[in-house]
Formats: sequence, C-alpha cells, structure tokens
Amino acid sequence: MDIKRAIITAAGKSQRTLPLQSLVDRDGQTKTALAIIIEEVLAAGIEELCVVIFPGDEPAYRAAAGEHAKRLVFVKQRQPLGYGHAVSCAEEFAGKKPFLLLVGDHLYVSGETRRCAQQLVETAAAENCAVSAVQATHESKLPYYGAVGGRLAAARKGLYEITEVAEKPTPTEAEQRLIVPGLRAGHYLCFFGMHVLTPSVMAMLAEEVAATGSRGGVHLSATLAKLARRERYLAAELTGRRYDIGARYGLLTAQMALALSGKDRDEVLTGLVELLAQRIR
Amino acid sequence: MLVDLITSRDADRRNASLDAYCGDLTSAQLLAECDELDVFRRRADNLYERVRALFFLYAIHRFHLPGRIKESEAGSEKTAGLIPFAGYEQLLHRRFEEAIDTFLAAQAKDGPSDGLCSALANAYHRLAFQTLADQVRRSVRSVRGNQWMFRVGHPADQPLRIRTELLQRSADGTYPILCEQTPVRMDLTHSAWSDIFFLGMDFPEGAKVLNISVDLGVHGRDARPRPPVSAWLRALDEPVLRLTSVDLGASADITALSDVFDFAKDYLGLLKAAVIAAGIVPPGIEGSGQNLAELLARIVGPGRGLELVSSVNDIPKGSRLAVSTNLLGSLVSVLMRATGQATSLTGELQENERRIVLARALLGEWLGGSGGGWQDSGGVWPGMKLIEGVIAGEGDPEFGISRGRLMPQHRILNLDDASAETRRKLQASLVLVHGGMAQNVGPILEMVTEKYLLRCEAEWRGRQDALRIMDEVLAALKSGDIRALGAATTRNFREPIQAIIPWASTYFTEQLIERVGREFGDDFWGFWMLGGMSGGGMGFIFAPHRKIEGQRRLQEIMSAAKHELQHALPFAMEPVVFDYAINERGTWADLLAGDAALMPSGYYSLTVPQLLRTERQDLPPARRAELDKFATACRAKPELRGMVQTLFDRMFPRLKEEAAGAQNLDELLAANGFDREAHEIIRADLKGGRIGLAQNRLPANLVIEDVRPGDVTHTSRPAHKSIAELGLTALRNGEAAVITLAAGAASRWTQGAGVVKSLHPFCKLGGRHRTFLEVHLAKSRQVARQVGLSVPHVVTTSYLTHGPLTDFLATNRNYGYEGSLLLSRGASVGLRLVPMARDLRFAWEEMPQQVLDEQQQKVRDSLRAALLRWATSAGEATDYRDNLALQCLHPVGHFFEVPNLLRNGTLAALLRERPQLKTLLLHNIDTTGANLDAALLGQHLASGATLSFEVIPRRLDDRGGGLARVDGRVRLVEGLAMPHEELEFGLSYYNSLTTWIDVDGFLRALQLTREDVLAGHEAKIAAGIRALAAKVPTYITLKDVKKRWGHGQEDVFPVAQFEKLWGDLTAVPEIDSRFLVVDRPRGQQLKDQAQLDGWLRDGSAAYVESLCAWE
Repeated sequence: MDIKRAIITAAGKSQRTLPLQSLVDRDGQTKTALAIIIEEVLAAGIEELCVVIFPGDEPAYRAAAGEHAKRLVFVKQRQPLGYGHAVSCAEEFAGKKPFLLLVGDHLYVSGETRRCAQQLVETAAAENCAVSAVQATHESKLPYYGAVGGRLAAARKGLYEITEVAEKPTPTEAEQRLIVPGLRAGHYLCFFGMHVLTPSVMAMLAEEVAATGSRGGVHLSATLAKLARRERYLAAELTGRRYDIGARYGLLTAQMALALSGKDRDEVLTGLVELLAQRIR
Repeated sequence: MLVDLITSRDADRRNASLDAYCGDLTSAQLLAECDELDVFRRRADNLYERVRALFFLYAIHRFHLPGRIKESEAGSEKTAGLIPFAGYEQLLHRRFEEAIDTFLAAQAKDGPSDGLCSALANAYHRLAFQTLADQVRRSVRSVRGNQWMFRVGHPADQPLRIRTELLQRSADGTYPILCEQTPVRMDLTHSAWSDIFFLGMDFPEGAKVLNISVDLGVHGRDARPRPPVSAWLRALDEPVLRLTSVDLGASADITALSDVFDFAKDYLGLLKAAVIAAGIVPPGIEGSGQNLAELLARIVGPGRGLELVSSVNDIPKGSRLAVSTNLLGSLVSVLMRATGQATSLTGELQENERRIVLARALLGEWLGGSGGGWQDSGGVWPGMKLIEGVIAGEGDPEFGISRGRLMPQHRILNLDDASAETRRKLQASLVLVHGGMAQNVGPILEMVTEKYLLRCEAEWRGRQDALRIMDEVLAALKSGDIRALGAATTRNFREPIQAIIPWASTYFTEQLIERVGREFGDDFWGFWMLGGMSGGGMGFIFAPHRKIEGQRRLQEIMSAAKHELQHALPFAMEPVVFDYAINERGTWADLLAGDAALMPSGYYSLTVPQLLRTERQDLPPARRAELDKFATACRAKPELRGMVQTLFDRMFPRLKEEAAGAQNLDELLAANGFDREAHEIIRADLKGGRIGLAQNRLPANLVIEDVRPGDVTHTSRPAHKSIAELGLTALRNGEAAVITLAAGAASRWTQGAGVVKSLHPFCKLGGRHRTFLEVHLAKSRQVARQVGLSVPHVVTTSYLTHGPLTDFLATNRNYGYEGSLLLSRGASVGLRLVPMARDLRFAWEEMPQQVLDEQQQKVRDSLRAALLRWATSAGEATDYRDNLALQCLHPVGHFFEVPNLLRNGTLAALLRERPQLKTLLLHNIDTTGANLDAALLGQHLASGATLSFEVIPRRLDDRGGGLARVDGRVRLVEGLAMPHEELEFGLSYYNSLTTWIDVDGFLRALQLTREDVLAGHEAKIAAGIRALAAKVPTYITLKDVKKRWGHGQEDVFPVAQFEKLWGDLTAVPEIDSRFLVVDRPRGQQLKDQAQLDGWLRDGSAAYVESLCAWE
C-alpha cells in the first residue's frame, strides 16, 4: 500500500485557532503548530496535503503554513456536522487512495529516530490495511477519546486486530467491550489522533453523511467500528506520545515535551530547575 | 469416608445425605471423621468442597456428636469441657479459623464435651457462611462493568460525565428531569429458593426462577396499577447531592463524601447505595478524604450538583415483591442513563444494559449490608422471564472457583411460551395480597443453604421436586391452563417448600388457605407463596368468575384473621389486596422538560413546606421557578388536587391526636400499678450514675468460681426408685401445681415487634401449629392423666399479655384443659427511659461485641452514632413516650411473678382449691421441655430445699450468667452482674430458670403464713414482698424496642428499663436453694426463631411431643 496523501482536520469550533499557535520546535526554530504537523507528515513520505478548515480561515492558515503553504489544498467544512463529516469533505482530495489522517490540534513527539507519522505509515504499508495509532490511556481520560478493543495481532508487539470501536466510552462500557490483553488494569487503547485509512472509509462516511443529512452527528468512530467488521483493521502503539494542545495547559505541555526532546534541552531544564528552586524559597 | 461424599465423581454418592452416613458411627468414629474432614477442608482449593466440609463438620458437632458423647459417658458426672473464653472472643472478632484451633486444642486436652461441640459447631457454621459470602462479594466486584469503580480514588479520575440533554434548561431556567419507572417482580416459583447466590453458584442447573414484572396498585386506594417504583434525577445549580426518599419522608443535602458512605445516618441508605453502585461516587473513593463538590464538578460541571428522588407509591414493606431491590435497580438505571453508561437515555434498556443494572444492584445490596437474591431485580426486565443459573466458563471470573456464575441469564418468555390470552387469564384469576406480616427471611435463607450443602434427604428430594414443578408451571403457561398452574403452585408450597423449610408457612397462612378453601370450594384454584416465606406477599388463584368476589372476601378474611392473631404473630400493618397488571416493557425512562419537568407529588408535600417558610428572595432562582411551575400544575392537573390541603396539614400537624396518645399511656400506667415515686428515684439514680450498666456488676474482688461436684445433683441418671415414688405420690395427692411465666412480649423472637409469646404458634407439633401455651397445657394434661388427678396451672401475665390471653383462652375454651387454669395478672409496671449515652457506650464499647461482616459493621457503626445523637437530643433518662403506649411500658422482672400470686389472690385461690398444695413448678414460657416430672419433684422434696433450680450443662449460646460459687456460696449469677465476661466461661452450668418452689418455705422467706395469704392481709403481704425485694439487686438493662411508622417501616431504639431477677434469690442466705442438673431437651429455652430448625432436627421437638397429650 502506497500512502502519499494526508488530510489534516482543523474546522472544529474549539479547534480552529490552535494550529495557528506558535511554538519552538525541537530544532530550536519558532514555528506554528500547523507547520510542525506538516513537517511530521512530509517526513513520512507524504506528497500531497489537504487541510479541512472553516470557511474564511484560509488566509490565516496559509500564513501559518509558511514555506509549505504552496503544497496545501484547502477544503471547507461549511456546517459542523461531526468529525466524520469533516473528513468526508476531503473525499475528492483522497480520490480512492489510502490516506493519512491527522487532527490539527495534536502534536507528536517520537521516542525513536523515525517520527510518529512515519512509523504509522510504514506499518500500514507493511500490513496493507487500515491502521490507527493508539496509546494505552487511563480510564479517567476516556471522556476525551475514542477507544478500541481487540486482540494482539499474531507475533507483533504493539499491534492489535481491532474488533470494537467506541467514541468516548464510559468505563462501564469499556470494561465490558474494550479490554485488551496485556494492558495494565484500568487502561484502554485510545486513539492517538492519527490514522491511515482505506478508501472504503470515505465511501462509508459518504453514505453516513447522505443518511443523516442536515441532522449531522456523523462520527468517525462509528464508521471505524463498521470498518472493523468489514476489513482487516489494526491498531498500532507507536513509540512516542501525543499532546493535545486544546487541553488545559496543553500548549504548555506540548512545548515542554518538544523542548525537552530537542537541542535546547539543557537550557530549558536549567530554566525549569531555577523556577522550581525559586518556588521552594 | 465422609470426605469421599464431597469429592466423589459419582453424582449419586456426592448428593448422598450426610445424616444417613453418620447414623451408625460411634463417637470415636465420628471424631476420626472430623479429624479427616478438618485436614481436608484446610487443603482443599475448591471453594465448594471446602464449604461443604465445613458444613459437614458443623452438622456432626451440632446433631450427631452430642448424643453419642452422652451415651458413651452415661452415668458419669463429668463437668469437663468448658468452652475456652479465648475461642469465644475470637468468634466475636470473626477470627473463625483461630477459634476452631482453640476449641480443637481444648478438645484434645479435655476430651469432647457437649459444650465444646456447640462451640465448634458454631465456629464451623460461621466460617462456612463467611467463606461463601466472601466469594459472592469477590464475584460482585469482579463483574465486568463494576471493576473500574473500585479503582477510582480521586475526583480527577472520575470518568463519568452527565449527558448534555440533562443540562438544557427550559425557558424558566429549570433543568429537565429524567424519570425512570420500574415494575416489581413476582416469582411464579423460585424452585425452592434456588436464587440464593450460594445455590446458584454451586448448582446452576437447579437455579431456576420464573419471574413476572408487574405494575401495582392498592385495591380501593389507587385508580389503576402502575409501575410502583420510580427514580427521578436532575441537575442542580448547587454543588450538592440532594437525596430524597418520598416514601420514607426523608431528604438531605449531602456535601461531604463521607456522608455518602454513612448508610444508617438517615433513611437514605438505599439511595446512597445506588449513587455509589452507579459509579457517581465510586466505591473506590471511600475514605479518600476527597471533596464531593469536586467530584460532582467532574460529572455535572463546576458549581453544579445532582438531585435524586425515589418513590415506591406507598407499597408496604415485606410485600415479597422485591420492592427495594427493584428500587435500587431503578435508581441505578436512571443514574447510568444520565451518565452515558446506558446508550438509551429514554425508553427501555437494552439487554446488556439490564445485565449491568443487575450487577450494580447486587453491588448496591452488598454495600448496603443487605442481600437480595439474584433474580430480585427482575422488574428491570419486561413481562415474564425464566431466570437461570449459568455454568461458569473460561473467561468468567468464577471459573475454577465455583461451578456457576454469579450472574444468571434471563430468557424473556415469548407469546409461544405464554400467549396473550394466557397472560390475560392469569390476571383474571390471581388475587395478589399482602397479609400484613413483615418478617426477617434471613434465617430461612441460611437454613436453605445449609440443608442444601448437607444434602439433607428431605431437602434434596424437595429440590428435585421443585424443579419438576417448574416444568409443570411452564407447561401450564404454554397450554393456558390456569387451574393447573394453581395446582402446581399449591403443591409447590405444600410439598417441596415446606419439606425443606417448615417455617415458610405460618399459622396465619394456614388459616387463610383453610378459610378461602372452605368458602370458595372448587373455585379456589390454588395458593402461591411469594418470595422467601408466607404471611406477607401471597397469591390466591380463583376461577375467573369469582375473582372480584375473591378480592373482596380476601380483604375481609385477612383482616379478621389478623384481628384474631394480632397478639400472637408479628403483624406490621393491616392486610391489603393489590391490583396488578403484567408489565410488558420493564424499566422505562422519560425525559420531562418544560412544564412537564415536575417531581412526583409526594416530593412537593415533603419539600414545599420548608420552601414556603423561606423568604422568597432567599430561594435560588431555579427553586422559585419550580415553585411557580408546581403552583400552576396544582391548579391544572387533576392528580394534584388536594395538594393544598396536604401541604397545610404538613405545616400544621394536628395536635389533638398526639394528646390522645399521651393520655392513653398515663391511663395504662395508672391501671397497671406504676409507682411514680420509685420511678423518680430510679431516674435520679440513673442520671447520677449510681445505677447503670456498669453498676449492675458484682464487685471485681469477689471470688467467682465454678461449682464442685457435690454442689449439684445430677438427674440424668435413673433416680432411686424411692425418690421417683415420692414425687409420684405427691402428684397423686394433688400437692403440685405449675406456673408458666407468660408476661413476655417475645422481643428476641420477633426482633422487638412485641407479640404475646405464649400465644405465638411457633411450630407444627402433633400435625398442626401449636402455641407455647398449648404445649405447656398439653404437658400438664399428660401428667394429670398419668396420676389420675388434674393439675392446677397458673399463667402469669402482664399489662401486655393479660387482655389478649384472657380473650384467647375464652375463645379457645382453655384449649379444653381439664384442670383449673388461672391467670395471675402482673401488679407492677415500669416506664421506659431514654437511655444514658454512657450506658449505650458501655453496652457497645465495654461489653464484648460481635464484630459484623465488614460492610454490615460500617452500617452498624453509623446507626449507633445516630442512636447516640438521638439519646442526647431526646434527653437522657427522660421518659420514653414517643411510641405506642404499650411499647413505652416495661415489666419489672420475673422476681415479682411469684410475689404477685400473693398480691392478686391467685395463690389464695389455689390454696383454697388444693389445701394440700406444697410445691409449685415455675418455668419460663419458652422452656418447652419443663413439666411436672415425678423424679425431679421427688428429688426436690427429698432435699427439703425451699427452691430447687434446674440447670443445664453450658453450650456456647447459653449466655447470661450461670451457676457459681461466689465467695463460697453456691448461687446463680446473672450475666449482667458478672464482673468480667470471661468468668462466665469458667462456669459449667447455665440456669434454665425452671424452679421447684416449696410453698411454705417461700412464705417463710416473706415472713408470711398460709393463713395470711388466705386471709388476704394486703399490708402484711406488701411489707413481706418489699422486704424480700430489698435483698435482691435492681439491674438497669437496655431493651430494643421497635417503632413502626409509614407503610410497614420499622425503627429499633434501645431504651433503658430496670428489673429484679428471680435467680438472685439464690443469694439470699435465709432461702435454702439447691441445684438440679437436667438434660438439655428439658432445660433448653427457645429464644430465637433461628433455633427452631436445630431444635426440630436434634430430637428436642420429638422429646417435647412425647411429653404432651394434645386432646
């Protein structure tokens, strides 16, 4: 499977300004979150990028993308009919090819030389099927994420065959449907905000959009649950962590994570220690 | 050999009865088997093998060994085998394993004895139940969907969020209300209590319950049946958890996390259990010191809270329709829906959601310290369903531990299984009633479990039979034959149920069945017992054309029977007939918004008075808006008509009724010889700390030791012929009479409900239910026939029992008793006092206490804290008047019973009838084996004693003093007076209270003569009694008194009273007291209903029957 296209969603009401925030990247350069995400995607061998935005946001996004602006295709989500709807707005761009899907308000810090998106794309290419990145997450965070249930894929550590998908499940539901062998008690595999999906997902989303019409409420999770029943669909635990910059102190945490894994680590650490020492006095 | 009964692969052998195998073994062989079983149970991995071995050990020590030991030691006067106090203490602290080791070590050292057998039986029995209960608890926790709640220990970890629909305000600013309505369940059959967890988990194939969800209304009160149980939930703009139970009239704003776990603080325990079991306040957060407002903020949003209201439409308690479990289910369900734990916010639940509601209800029951069966939340499911045990498979938490799963499976019967026509026909035939009795089913469930695990023959046959009846019932439903259904449920009640537990029926039930049968003949198609026992919820099946008449007549028949038996059996309320309808949708929720967003009307009659007393501007806006909405609804909605009157009555309660009650009490006091002066002295002494629980005790420096062999006379050996002859001659000469003490109200027997114990039909003997009184008269009748002369029989009464006994004996013509039967009315009465907090603390902290199971202990601690607050706020040592008048009075102790015979002229009457009368046999109402035994009478006469007390070798349950040498004098010491609990365990004999009294000797002690008595010298008699009374101590005791309210609800209050006790006469130097050791069947007292089954099984009942001549 050859994955050359990526879709970044950024049209959500509470999400629209987040990719425009500036941070200092691991290389010490000040960039917008959008630029960092674009670099993540390009490093994975992606050639074409599409950003789903709210109408009117294009100029700001072009500016935020900086030198990468010319590579971007913008697609507008005119009505907020659900995350699934946002993705399906890029159906034409995807064009019956597998695609990498990311959310605009998450940043990723890899724990190895390959970046997170690259790990995922390579896994999907090797397994030749849809793969969602997941991270073992404590049950108290379930209200924020979609979660999957399944079993370990044969002989591959960190790779799971997905049997169930639930959007923001309660732990009551999770405990009954989503327990995955090998995880610590009270932990579930929650979405990482990054998927490689097959064209059938776009087809299913289109059906769903048509069926719900202006009522909206088209959720990607529901479609992914269907996908799990139709074709082979895997979850991969990547080496790395995701940072939700929309959460409280999310931007700060993401900045810390970037800084502490980059070239200015010593400088930032020194600053932190000084801050802590002052606080104690 | 016995181990093989547990482990054998052959099912027949495994299901063989223990009793059959023990029958031929000697005591040495039995002891060897016990050794082997004890080793086996210690190493067995399998839970049920272990538990079964424990029950075998219990049964051998309770039923088989005592008799064999006695046979092997016949004739010896051995008193060895005292129960070690250390073991007793270990039992109190629930350290059963250690207690068993302690008792076994004592047995190895001193040899087996009756007392040690009783201790070991008790320890094995309790360890067995503890093991089972622990397993159920583990299973409840490990059900998937419940586990996470035990991990949440901090508000930040709370993963639940309220659904946004519940935060959409109406135009007036009020939040919508989510209302859950749930039917209750009735069991067509529970296959002999097969829903008990322990049974379902060991024998899932036999666990089958056929259960119908019904709507309910009280006939004549409610317009139509509706789901009786409802739960209401909404968001609040205050960071509190507001809980309201409409039926219990209780409401509280909870702001502290610890209060959520304080179950007995108020009447909101069930709502709290639901809040916890639904994960709102997860069980894992208990004791974390975290903040409730923060936790609520995570779920509902900052500054917000939740309000939860429960209502059961005034369905009385004890209906056997699982009202409380279904209410728990309803509450759990509404909370789960509101927090997205069920997909369906409204409408019915999906099957997997119902199952999790069931699991949560089980958890809630466990948290609240109660325990329903696994089918009890049946109302959550629609219509008719077959609930069955499931064999545990790989992946189940129970796999490898028990054969069955904790959670059963539900199969909803379709129209093929029971057509719409059949359902209609069933409703056209069945009359559902509540007989008015509210009894504790707990002991019955324990007996069932025990008999099942022992595979008692009758039990095992009954169980198979019950399963066949289940098939008959299913077949009758399929064919629509309601008459056959009635025959099956009747046979179920008559045969398997009563073969297993005779106590499932009551005299009241038998009367109802008999009267209905007599009146309706062939048109009475059958009886149907609901739940664990009869007397409360019951069903009567009639030919459809007579159902309406059946409803009307049943109400009348039940009321009449209750009226006749109200003093004999514990009734909690007037009997009622229900209207009902099968509910085909199960639990159901609606979202009420806008003008419809109103709580149930009872909620407003409870809360509005308080709101009206508050200045309008001080009310939060949402409250103001709600009041407006409620006022509008009152004007518009017909069901709220009359609300204004209700509110008015609430705010200005009628004072007249209360005054009338108070007058009644004062009249009773005056009529029953209440001594106001003495009462004030006692109050002053109590307040001043001169008397009290601590002061009851003898000085600690007294030497209290066990008696020596010569201090007692053993009577189990065949008496010398001349002694028996002496007694027989006295009987033939008419020199003896019997006094039965019948002043008591059976407080332990009925947990404080207060019935006339002598009139309580406690057991079927000679083919039908017999009262205690009938048993005693039947024994006197047999003696009279043997000696050819009638026996005068005196029954002492009190203010509580005199009226009912007089009426009862008149109606029943003295049970046809041939001799004279005299009632001796008590001549004095006391007024109970609110206890001193000091005495409550002493009772709970200084006296040895039975530590309860973890969760029950928490509930008890919380209850005790509440009672201490009550004592302080009600006023320590003030008169206890806040109850029915009769519950405020108390008898002043059995010391006065014999002196009363002098005061009220009964002795004079006896002496006139029998001038030759020399001896009185005094015994307690519950000492069923006591009679005018010629050999014992001869022994008493030969000794020349004034008083001969009968004592029995002590068993573990014989608590409350004993026979001792106190500073060299042999006397009885009351348990209250023991300076140290441990001393009691050094005493070999326990007082049965049965006393042979030499009339002249006793009169001498009162400085009176027969002539004084016959002449009725009141002043002289009174002076004599006062002088003797001054020589015996006054004890302060705490008594649990029930207060009934609402619809069958009960509270128990410990109140203080004083008493003087008969046994203390043994300490009076001028009275010559002797002590006769008698056999247990003669001396055994029946204090507690839970004793009955053992009493029947160990041969005591047969012994008593052999003494009786019924006709």
